[in-house]
Formats: sequence, structure tokens, C-alpha cells
Amino acid sequence: MNLIAGFLFELQEMSLLAGRAVTGIFRKPRYIPETIAQMDYIGVGSLTIIVLTGFFTGGVLTLQTYQTLESYGAVDQLGYLVSISLIRELGPVLTALMVTGRVVSAISAELGSMVVSEQIDAMRALGTDPIRKLVAPRILALVITLPLLTLITDVMGIVGGWAVSTFLYGLPSSMFINSVRDGITTDDLIGGVIKPLFFAFLMGTIACHKGLRTEGGTVGVGRSTTSAVVMASIVVIIADFILARALQLILGTQA
Amino acid sequence: MTQASIDQSVDNRVSDLAAESTFREIDDTHRAIPAIEFRNVTIIYDGRKVLNDLSFKVMKGETKIILGGSGCGKSTTIKLVLGLIKPDAGQILVDGEDVTNYSEAQMMRVRKKIGMIFQEGALFDSLSVYENVAFKLHEQGVPEEEVENEVRRMLRFVNLEDAIEKMPSELSGGMRRRVGIARALVGDPKIVMFDEPTAGLDPPTARTICELAMKLRDLEDVSSIFVTHEMNNLDYLTSEYAVVNEAGEVVFEKEGEKLCLINSKVLMMREGKIIFSGTDETLRKAEDPYIHKFLRGH
Repeated sequence: MNLIAGFLFELQEMSLLAGRAVTGIFRKPRYIPETIAQMDYIGVGSLTIIVLTGFFTGGVLTLQTYQTLESYGAVDQLGYLVSISLIRELGPVLTALMVTGRVVSAISAELGSMVVSEQIDAMRALGTDPIRKLVAPRILALVITLPLLTLITDVMGIVGGWAVSTFLYGLPSSMFINSVRDGITTDDLIGGVIKPLFFAFLMGTIACHKGLRTEGGTVGVGRSTTSAVVMASIVVIIADFILARALQLILGTQA
Repeated sequence: MTQASIDQSVDNRVSDLAAESTFREIDDTHRAIPAIEFRNVTIIYDGRKVLNDLSFKVMKGETKIILGGSGCGKSTTIKLVLGLIKPDAGQILVDGEDVTNYSEAQMMRVRKKIGMIFQEGALFDSLSVYENVAFKLHEQGVPEEEVENEVRRMLRFVNLEDAIEKMPSELSGGMRRRVGIARALVGDPKIVMFDEPTAGLDPPTARTICELAMKLRDLEDVSSIFVTHEMNNLDYLTSEYAVVNEAGEVVFEKEGEKLCLINSKVLMMREGKIIFSGTDETLRKAEDPYIHKFLRGH
């Protein structure tokens, strides 16, 4: 019973935080420079890991599926298979997990350290709401940058798949590209962009919530960072399933 | 100037004087309202009463020194004044205004009247000294030129103008506290909270911080709560006062046996309860064995 009560309490706290952050985005004072700084840190700062993740995931997908497709005589579908897997599932989820590792941990540790060194209390004492000043810009920056990062993962994945099929298996370049172009629909792309919007919102809320509820000094910062990363990763995977099913129902596709 | 306009200007002056005297009267009645008042405040954490039925007043211009060992609820008391935590029972009044059930948004308005100095300074790591001190003004959208003047004035007050460009990580413990004081005093708050501002500092730096508190009390008419467990803080704050000498410099004079000029009262806490309230003279004469031990260290 305590476990359920604890879970419900945490859910309530997180919902309240998210609600206050969202209303904070639309009210003055607006923290535009803070949001841009966070977008730079989250978006531009994550580019390298996202490019590498995308490229090699696309490459390994081609590597693993080529032989199966060849045995069915369907090698011309290689580009379609790689791109559809990337755009619908792997792109959004892998990007979210990579950003969770890099950004959720950083946000949670930063806010946690601010709590234990009384900087959050100091901010409140100086008449500034930390939810507007710290939480809202971080969530907003994540919501803006994660879909863009996901698109980059998708593109780099397709490039990786094309590179393996062309240079390792010696397939004609046009075969891969044509099968990508013919296979992908607008619904796939919509689904691929909607998912990261939800992921970003959930990840940002979890990171800030865990950070702000840090207790027990520097050890507490470590604890809250770990629990933020674990929780965000699990929530991303569960949300992915729920969103995939919801998109199937809404868009009427097998997305 | 015509006779009519002269009469008019004389009339204006008369009415100005009348207004001024009215203001003075209002001001005098205002001084009777305590800057801070706690009425039967209780706070329970994990089933333990951290504060137990706490009642006290801090009058205008008074420094209330809260003494007590670690974990007796001293820091909790000042966090309650700022609404950083909420009591489980009782009332808290700031300037006669009951702030007990204020929302975070309402509390933001009250906090503008109060400056808070945290134990370790609580400076924002990612901001320079200048940005730390300017934080409140930047948030209010004050023009940069005014911000710079105010920041320099505050840093001069704590004698740290040279450190304006530094980052908090480059400062010593004492300097961090002083920057924290400068930051808290932006906007000239009439109520200031000190949360163990001298803990872990060398005696001369601790003395400098006590002098700042005395300057605020005696020259700026600030009401404050000074939480400490260090006896030398108590000695400074209850035996000396700040005055401006003929050369315009601030000097600190010993009270001696002449007059009771110093507006500092002492409150001693133990396990969330007040065990003593009064002047330092009566504290030193108190019979309570815990107070004896606390004052003498054995």
C-alpha cells in the first residue's frame, strides 16, 4: 500500500511541476536567453553522439537484414526496411535514450546540487520562482530540440544503411535510395516527430522533478541522478508502446 | 512673482510640512508593529517536533540573536519567515501581515522585503560575482547602468569591489559569505536573516561579518534575526555599536557601562523550544545548566 501511495504521490508532484512549468512558459517574465542556452546545450551539444548513434544503427540494421532479405530475393526492399524501422521506432527511442543519458542526468545533477547548496532556496528568497527560471526553459528546450535530433538520427541512420549497402555489399546506390523514397509515408514521418515531443516532455519533467527533490547532500545528488536516468529510460520505452498503439488508432496505420 | 503666487507657494510649503509630520506620526505607529512575529509555531518532521510552540517578536530595528546547538531548529526558524517551508501549526507575521497561508506567488511579494544570508553563501555557481549580486535587479528588468551602480555600491559595503568579475569558485569562504550579504542587501531590505554567517570562518573574517550586521542594525535601521552558535558573535553584537565619526567613517564603539544603547536581544533554543529570551546580561546570569554549559563550553 505504501508503494502505491508513494507512486501516486510522486505522480501528483510531477504533474503539478509539469503544470506549473507549462503555465510558466506562457507568463512573464519569459526566460528566452535561458531557453536558448539550454537548446544549445541539449541540441547542439548532443549532435556528435546523435550523428554517431544514427549512422551506426542504420549501418548495423543493413548488416543484419541484408542476408535475410537476400534469401527471400527482396534486397530491393532494404532501404524501405531500414528507413521504416528507424523513422517509426529506433530513431525516436534511441535518440531519447541517448539524450536521457547525457541531458536528463545533467539536469538532475545540476538542480540537485543547487538544492543541496541552498541555491534553489536562495533563488526563492530573492523573489524568483525556480520553476519558471530553471524548469520551464529546460523542458521547453527539450521539447524543441528532441524532435530535431530525432530527424538527424533518422537521416544519419539512412545514410549509414546506404553506406553499408553500397560499399560493403556493392548494391547500386539508386536501389537503396529509391526503396527509401517509395516506402516512407507522411504518416510515418508524423509519428516519428510526435513521439519525441511526448518523450521530451516526460524526460524534462522527470529530470527536473528528481533534481528538485534531492535530499541528503552530495550522495543525494548521485541518487537522484541515477533514479532520474532509470525512470526516464523506462518511461520512454513504456510511452513508446502506448504512443505507437495510439498512433495506429489515430492515423489508421501500422505505425 | 505676484502676491497670489507667493501665497500659493507658502500654502504649499505649509501643506508639505503638515504631510511630513503626518508621515512621521504614521511611521511612529508603524514602528510599534513587530517586523517579525511567531505565534505558537510548530513544525513536525518525521513525527518529531522540530519546532515546538515557538512564539517571539522581532521589533523594528532590533537584532534577535538566536543561539542554540546544531539541529535545535534555528535555521528552520528563519526559513519559515521567508516561507521556504510552511509550519504545521501557528501563525507567522511579517510587518504585521499574516503570511502563514500565503501561496508561493503571494510569498514572492513578501520576500522582496527580506534579505537572506545563507550558511555557505549559496551563491549561484554558474554566475559571476557581478551577476550574483545583480540577480534580483536583472530579474526585475532594471537598466544595466543602474544595475552596475547598485552592484558596485553593495560590493563596496562588504568591501569586495575588486572581486566583481570573479566566479564564486575563485572566492574564499569568507568572501563568498560577503558576496551573499551584498546580494541579500540589494534593494535595501528592512528585514535581514543571517543563517550562521560566520560558521567555519577565521576570527577576523567572522568579526567583519558581525560588523556588517552591526552597521545594518545601527545605521540602516534594519531588523534582523542572527542565527549563530558562536559566542564571539554574541559578544560583538551585544557589546558594540556602529557610529559615524566626524571624519565620516564608520567606527565601532564599546557600550561599556554607560548606557544600554544596543538594540540586540537574545533567544536561546533547545530541541525546538525557547529556553531563554532576554538581554545578554540576563543570559549570562541565567541559572539553567544547559545555558551555563553553552556559554562556557564545559
